[in-house]
Amino acid sequence: MNGAQDLSIFSMLMCGILLLVPLLGIWYLKLGLAKKLLISTLRMVVQLVLVGFFLEFVFRFNNWLLNSIWFLTMITVAVFSVIKNSGLKLRHFVRPVLLSFVLANFFVVLYFNFFIAKLSFILDAKYMIAIGGMVLGNSLRANIVGLGDFYKSIRKDEQLYFYKLSLGATRFEALRDFAKRSFVSAMNPTIASMATMGIVSLPGMMTGQILGGSVPLVAIKYQIAIMIAILASTVLSISLSIFFTVGKSFDKYGVMQKSVFAEK
Amino acid sequence: MFRLEHLTKQFSDQFVLEDFSFDILEGEKIIISGRSGIGKTTLFRLLLGFEQPDNGKIYFENELLTAITVWNLRRRVAYVSQDMNIGRGNLQAFFNETLSLKANVEYKNSSLSELEELLNSFELPDTLLQKNIEELSGGEKQRVAIINALLLKRNIFFLDEITSALDKSLKSKVLDYFLLNPAFTVLSISHDNYLPTEAVTRTLKLD
Repeated sequence: MNGAQDLSIFSMLMCGILLLVPLLGIWYLKLGLAKKLLISTLRMVVQLVLVGFFLEFVFRFNNWLLNSIWFLTMITVAVFSVIKNSGLKLRHFVRPVLLSFVLANFFVVLYFNFFIAKLSFILDAKYMIAIGGMVLGNSLRANIVGLGDFYKSIRKDEQLYFYKLSLGATRFEALRDFAKRSFVSAMNPTIASMATMGIVSLPGMMTGQILGGSVPLVAIKYQIAIMIAILASTVLSISLSIFFTVGKSFDKYGVMQKSVFAEK
Repeated sequence: MFRLEHLTKQFSDQFVLEDFSFDILEGEKIIISGRSGIGKTTLFRLLLGFEQPDNGKIYFENELLTAITVWNLRRRVAYVSQDMNIGRGNLQAFFNETLSLKANVEYKNSSLSELEELLNSFELPDTLLQKNIEELSGGEKQRVAIINALLLKRNIFFLDEITSALDKSLKSKVLDYFLLNPAFTVLSISHDNYLPTEAVTRTLKLD
């Protein structure tokens, strides 16, 4: 395995020229997105350059503590993003959701490294950060839908929730249907993309591995494993997030606290 | 059965209830009236613990209503809300779900065996059970909610405008059913002029 071919300065310049295509489109169609696109491109380049240097450093050291701290940092950023993007109040949710994400993602990644990749060093930087990043990125997306929908649907259907309590339901019984529906909407995109995988989309991980010199038959095995790991961490993190946050989100009468949602 | 002592409830700067006291005895039929927005529904929400009073106390069977005792009250009272948001999906599954709750499971078999009879007595066909709740008309949903409340085998009823979507003959049928049963304690919010002549009721006018 030789790894992917390096891209020269010339290649990167050609890449910059390719950027003219969307820019010209924006100008021609008067979309007014040029500034936003340029800022986003610049942010992407700067962030990736910094991460590139940082990862060079992390991979060279490959120290268990450094790797774990970096993974924890990734998780923390993901948790902030989940809470912010689902309209929930940061102060109310940050601790329980962080706990849920740490448990779910560390468990899945360590399981993957130990039982599936069979690494002798299960905190290996390459695996923990690459696999962890993919798992985390997907459970982030799923939790924005799952956790956000869960609380929003209770607010929207408050009458229905109260109706269930009035029938004698415990808080758990009254919330069960709301949780079920959030799970379905959170998991549906992953399940749907699994069904077309390989035909409609060649996933990023496979592309990366094939360019990196792996044969396709190895790459697909990793892809299968990672999709299942993603589903596992999605289900685990949403369940734990709901489980850890429900206690402080409802008062003893079973009524949802006002402090659940961020003020508009 | 219920004792309300000096209840006050305020939303923003508007008093819904101010220093309100009232007693309800077992078997009584209370008709709650008053213009809309006066706080009739709020009274039910306070009694069921969905809202907390700013001041005052509620007693149920001589026990102060608290975050602990309210869960017992919710197992004793059958509430039919004015809101038609009672659930989704297949109607038979809806009734099954109500009766599968831990609080109600002991009546599951006996109640389900009475289901057809109840449907018929409120002029609903058995075939309705195969439909989804979303497909039902307002009047059908209202009767479904009433039947769901009766399946619980409770004898205290909070009824919030439960006949608003029913025609005249069904209205009187429903009101007769609740107001003429001596075992039932009923609190009913209603704008209807109809009252069964034999019924002994007491009117609570909020204003």
